[in-house]
Amino acid sequence: MATAVHLDGITKRFPGVVANDDVDLAVERGTVHALLGENGAGKTTLMNVLYGLYEPTSGRVLVDEEVRSFDSPRDAIDAGVGMIHQHFMLVDPMTVTENITLGNEPRKWGGLAVDRAAAREAVVELSDRYGFDVDPDARVEDISVGEQQRVEILKALYRGADVLILDEPTAVLTPQEVEELFGVLEELTAQGKTIIFITHKLGEAMRAADDITVLRDGRNVGSVKADETTREDLAELMVGREVLLDVDRPPAETGDVVASVSNVVVDDDRGVRAVDDVSFDVRAGEVFGIAGVDGNGQSELVEALTGLRRPQHGRIEFLGDDVTADSRRQRIEEGMAYIPEDRQERGLVMDFDLTENALLGSQHSKEFGPNGRIDWPATRTHAEAIIDEYDVRPPDADAISESLSGGNQQKFIVGREFERDPELVVASHPTRGVDVGSIEFIHERLLELRQQGVAVLLVSSKLEEVQGLSDRLGVIYEGEFIDVVDPDETTEEELGLLMAGEHPDEDDADASTDATESGSAEAATGGDRP
Amino acid sequence: MSVGDRARDVLARLANASATERILISTAALLLSILVGAVLVLVAGRMTACTPNEAVYYFGTGFCYDPILVFDRLFLGALGDPLSGGWSPDGQFSVTLRETTLLIFAGLSVALAFRAGIFNIGTQGQMVVGALATAVAVLWGATLVSGVLGTVVLVPFGILVGAVFGGLYGAIPGFLKAYADANEVITTIMLNFIATGVTLYLVSGVFKDPESAANQTVPLPEYAQFPTVLFGGRQDFSLVALFFGLLAIAGLYYLLEHTAFGYDVRTSGIQPEAAEYSGVDAPRTVVASLTLSGALGGVAGAMYVMMILGTFQTGVPSYGFDGITVSILAGNNPLGVGIAALLFGVLKSGTTVVQFATDVPPQLVGVLRGLIILFVAMPEFFRLVGKRITDTGSRAVATDGGRPEPAAGSSGTSGDDGGESDE
Repeated sequence: MATAVHLDGITKRFPGVVANDDVDLAVERGTVHALLGENGAGKTTLMNVLYGLYEPTSGRVLVDEEVRSFDSPRDAIDAGVGMIHQHFMLVDPMTVTENITLGNEPRKWGGLAVDRAAAREAVVELSDRYGFDVDPDARVEDISVGEQQRVEILKALYRGADVLILDEPTAVLTPQEVEELFGVLEELTAQGKTIIFITHKLGEAMRAADDITVLRDGRNVGSVKADETTREDLAELMVGREVLLDVDRPPAETGDVVASVSNVVVDDDRGVRAVDDVSFDVRAGEVFGIAGVDGNGQSELVEALTGLRRPQHGRIEFLGDDVTADSRRQRIEEGMAYIPEDRQERGLVMDFDLTENALLGSQHSKEFGPNGRIDWPATRTHAEAIIDEYDVRPPDADAISESLSGGNQQKFIVGREFERDPELVVASHPTRGVDVGSIEFIHERLLELRQQGVAVLLVSSKLEEVQGLSDRLGVIYEGEFIDVVDPDETTEEELGLLMAGEHPDEDDADASTDATESGSAEAATGGDRP
Repeated sequence: MSVGDRARDVLARLANASATERILISTAALLLSILVGAVLVLVAGRMTACTPNEAVYYFGTGFCYDPILVFDRLFLGALGDPLSGGWSPDGQFSVTLRETTLLIFAGLSVALAFRAGIFNIGTQGQMVVGALATAVAVLWGATLVSGVLGTVVLVPFGILVGAVFGGLYGAIPGFLKAYADANEVITTIMLNFIATGVTLYLVSGVFKDPESAANQTVPLPEYAQFPTVLFGGRQDFSLVALFFGLLAIAGLYYLLEHTAFGYDVRTSGIQPEAAEYSGVDAPRTVVASLTLSGALGGVAGAMYVMMILGTFQTGVPSYGFDGITVSILAGNNPLGVGIAALLFGVLKSGTTVVQFATDVPPQLVGVLRGLIILFVAMPEFFRLVGKRITDTGSRAVATDGGRPEPAAGSSGTSGDDGGESDE
């Protein structure tokens, strides 16, 4: 079979980071190829290189076995490569036909007018050929998200795309629409089109793709055939298994329950259930880890706990009080520190300097000024202390946050939150995008806090991180805790299995009925190892 | 480098311009606008007929309008001719300061809302409501106190009433935005119409001065108006009012930069997600900002009644809309609002001088004014656009994982690194 797209040794560097590191990728014509990886693994960057949005630092792009150099998406489109972004680029008040033909409208009267009839005909012909069900005269704002996505696909096809790149195509779709999309992909490949789709959901990759390439930390860590691999293998590839560091973790001296989450149900922004009936306690002096592949409800769970999202059901207790209805500010004041996963959206105000950012979350605290005033000199001293203690570079409290590298931004946030003197630290991917040295430093500080009797909730998709730091480990899959395990007594293979949604109880149910009887979370911890 | 890249580059450079650079850019823009305006005046002067001795001659060609005279009148005339020796505090300079005072309050009103990320087009309506409320309340108060005591009591009382009613009127779109997700641009525009309509109804009915043919309230007694200090009273300007204006500038600056509330407002304005993370109650901040913004608009109305008109009359001039321009010109910075309001005040007052001193049609003077504002505002406008583009550039590409993602090591200029770059 012919190779439709071949990326040969693509490296893409940004100031301070390598987004893609010598990535090879070969996509066969007429297949669906999934590009699988965690957030930040370099998937979108790689596809933006293919689509001409980025110029690779080194490496070659081959389309139809011919070396190409794309300066812009237009060049890519001319070479038959189309990309459908996650956020659709459609003009809402215009019709489906107008959107599809926009910029390439059939002309009449010597090019002076748009030939609407011909445009409509072309769209109808195209959607018939691929079995798409779209109304060419409907306004885009009136059709569903799934239909809008099909319009985007038609737009690419109309421009002569042979290779379609879909960036997280399922992120905005309902489960039914996802099924429809997969049907569309089948139809497209049946007619010789080539599909590359970016996803971080391994279930989808298994379901829809012929081949799967896994990216991690900007590197291709494996290309496999979908029918020759297992979900566990993929999960392991995605999160990695190399032990980065050997954390010296003294035994936990746990105290009282600091935070308690009971039967919490949380919906995501689309109103789809993201967390379904999750319960756990975090005690003083312990690290409770939550492991799982990204997008299985961790974000929503953490937001519900920290007060950024209201749970649909359930109860959240903090230091013995019911805080379910408390505002975010109340929870901060009660001693909840939170390292958010999206540091540039939430964790820092990008236009503020570090002094101003040191105040974020403490602006109403007495420590930085009485009676609603702000004591800037005190804030500045605080910022300088964080910069000094957490080795933030450049060591300049006047530096605008945006000018710092991601790792240094993260160190500053970690410092600010740890210095809050908290009772509970919620750390969401605290080391994402941070260099190895800083990772170790952050880990040490986390364990120090734990020694001081602070309760820590650690969410991470890095297996070695949650396993190495946690005293107890909850594995989340599709919004539910599959199991709560002792990380020291569980192998990576078992964790990979759990993260892929394979419930140990179910396996046991086949083998022995005894285990199912005592199949509670605790019992499962001890009872399921071979 | 393609044209698109170059444009991006320029925008990025503008977005990162320092304060000094921005002042330099603004000054250059002002000079350039005068130059372009002068050419326009010359061209218009060629296309009009006039007698040879009325014409001026440049480069051996006769023109009916003299651009030097026009700009001389526009600027120096507005300042009351400080160079000619005949300067009087009660002259045109008073008019300039009078306009400046009103524009300071209108500009601050818009600027505060802008800083909170809210586009308050309703300053005009808030001003109208505040004006009528002030007139009615002060008329009532004037029956209780009089004389010097009357001035000392009634002027602050009038300002307070204007602020309260303007604030309440600003709170309406605030609540609608915070709790009903209603776009403030739409609601404030509509509330402008409602304010005009309702005040017209009231002032042509219950509050109408029976002695007057116009739709206006009974005139305020002299002691219930702003006292004239240093400057004569002929041009309806009071230094006291300007002093209040400067106080408001300093106060708003302090509020935004040195208080927790100001921090909440600024954070909400530039990064709502971060504000939420830091514990800011977003709906409450929206309501508070719009209330305060409305209060500043209401004070402008109170000033208009107690300093300029001495009564409330329908057809309040559009200071509220000028406030939008002033605020944008000032980059929504309270200190900048002072300077922008002065420039705008000069232009407004200078326009009348030009009309008296030359044959240049008022429309052309309007064009010159527009040119100056356009030129001075454009760099600032493009700066804001540049900020937005370089910002969203980084976010648009960072689509991985269904949520915007941190991009590492990306400054504004290289902001399109995308979210994937950080591991």
